[in-house]
Amino acid sequence: MKRAALAAQVLLGGCASVLLGACASFPPNPPLAQYVPKSGYGFELVAAAPEDRRDELMVVVSFSGGGTRAAALAYGVLEALRDTTLQWQGGTVRLLDEVDVISSVSGGSFTAAYYALRGEAAFTEFPERFLYRDVQGALIGEMLSPASWPKLAGASYGRSDLAAEFYHRELFGQATYAALIAAKRRPFVILNATDMSTGTPFAFIQDQFDLMCSDLAGVPLARAVAASSAFPGALTPLTFQNYAGRCGYVQPPWVRNAANDHASRENPRRSARAENRLSLAATVADAQTGAAVPVRPYLHLTDGGVADNLGLREPINALTSNNHPWSLVRMMNNGPMKKLVIVAVNAATGASLARDQSAEVPGLFDTVFTAADVPLSNYSFDTVELLGKAVDDQVRDARLVDTCNRRSAEKGAQCALNLPSARRIDFYPVQVAFEYIASPEERDWFRKLETNFALKRGEVDRLTAMGRRLLLEDPHFQRLMKDLGGTISAPGIAPAPR
Amino acid sequence: MEYVIVEFPTDRLVYIDGEKDGTTNTLLKVDAGTHDFDLGPVENYRPGSRKVTLSGTSSIDPRIITFYRKDDE
Repeated sequence: MKRAALAAQVLLGGCASVLLGACASFPPNPPLAQYVPKSGYGFELVAAAPEDRRDELMVVVSFSGGGTRAAALAYGVLEALRDTTLQWQGGTVRLLDEVDVISSVSGGSFTAAYYALRGEAAFTEFPERFLYRDVQGALIGEMLSPASWPKLAGASYGRSDLAAEFYHRELFGQATYAALIAAKRRPFVILNATDMSTGTPFAFIQDQFDLMCSDLAGVPLARAVAASSAFPGALTPLTFQNYAGRCGYVQPPWVRNAANDHASRENPRRSARAENRLSLAATVADAQTGAAVPVRPYLHLTDGGVADNLGLREPINALTSNNHPWSLVRMMNNGPMKKLVIVAVNAATGASLARDQSAEVPGLFDTVFTAADVPLSNYSFDTVELLGKAVDDQVRDARLVDTCNRRSAEKGAQCALNLPSARRIDFYPVQVAFEYIASPEERDWFRKLETNFALKRGEVDRLTAMGRRLLLEDPHFQRLMKDLGGTISAPGIAPAPR
Repeated sequence: MEYVIVEFPTDRLVYIDGEKDGTTNTLLKVDAGTHDFDLGPVENYRPGSRKVTLSGTSSIDPRIITFYRKDDE
């Protein structure tokens, strides 16, 4: 009896030690040896323009969350941009080649990251490698595999770490951001996650990683995508290490000014961005060594949709602030930009009214998911409104100057004001969203598609076709086509890349 | 959006918060709040920089920020 108990103890103890020994921890993001302003993966790098870049036409695209539904809709839009040619500066250009920035969250980040990495090859590879694939089933298989259990037993290793490993191996060919830096090509792709503690957007760009004294070049693309798409509940947040205080980082001058503006409420949005930067880079003296250590040694990143389910917050900040790593305001002030196209691809579905058919009290899962999802949808509506307002304000301000000059001149030359105008920009705020599908039955079909990583092939095909159709039907896109002599070839008959 | 004209006798670059952000004597868009303005290297102007809090301007009533040549003293 004694021997049996001892054997059981040894066995259990052995198992425990084997398990503990094998327990995994998150793969740490590498530290940055020395902060160098404007280096690494940033807009300046990809904008180190080949001579044929046409900065006068600025194109920004955002991809929303929504699992494979969002990825497929985004892919359909990318295909349509590829197939669209414009007459610009005396030549014919593909609209896709003019895309300068893609900002994405969650499901949309798969399409954005894959295109950033593979460029034109994405159009032959991505559908089979991701869109048509039962990624959800594969992930569940990985999680249920006994080989994964010791890893998942680790306190600093979660289901999203496992998902990141799967994407790294199966989708992104083990590429890190170093591959994007080496490629040095537009578009500048910003994958957005959410800082779980502050609820603020966290962009995978070097400007953000500088705050943490970490080198984005060594971060796998798959990990950025996994963080961006770590849907709360279904997937765990991902942990990143903060090395603040170790690389000689210096905040840009605007941060102190904006933080000091907090009390006067001059620009609360700008003050909040400044305070967020200060919080990430904050250090304290270690009690024993006196060395500067981060106030927040670890960051936990969750789905980008928690802070912004459209991927539009970054473009809006760029459109309304000079103090942004790729400020569109600065580009307007500096001159070359003449036309700004913003394509917002939104795969949001409609409200489900199914529960209202019954008097039953909604269950826990329904309540929790609704609590997570409904505010996101409402917030997304506000984000689109914010974009519209930012564009309208700038158009109205320019028109005001013109009107004053014209009216004053009508009173006679002696009354002419000749007010200086800001540089004239033509705005094209394009929206691709199911709500703009004209047929109620068809709209309803798309809005009932689930958020998962396992859609049927036919559903994916309908989504990509709808992405294309909604883009072509958008009135601002049609205006762009008219202004620039645009034509679009049939799907699959793509014009050659430049 | 706030509006600013940085006045200087000649056309040259304007730096807002240390970044190249347009040129002198043109209407510039700047977000509300406190910003540092200067004209960058070749410091033949005074003052060396201006800290200005922007609020309540419009495209027809911009804030005028003036720099002078040092040799005009």
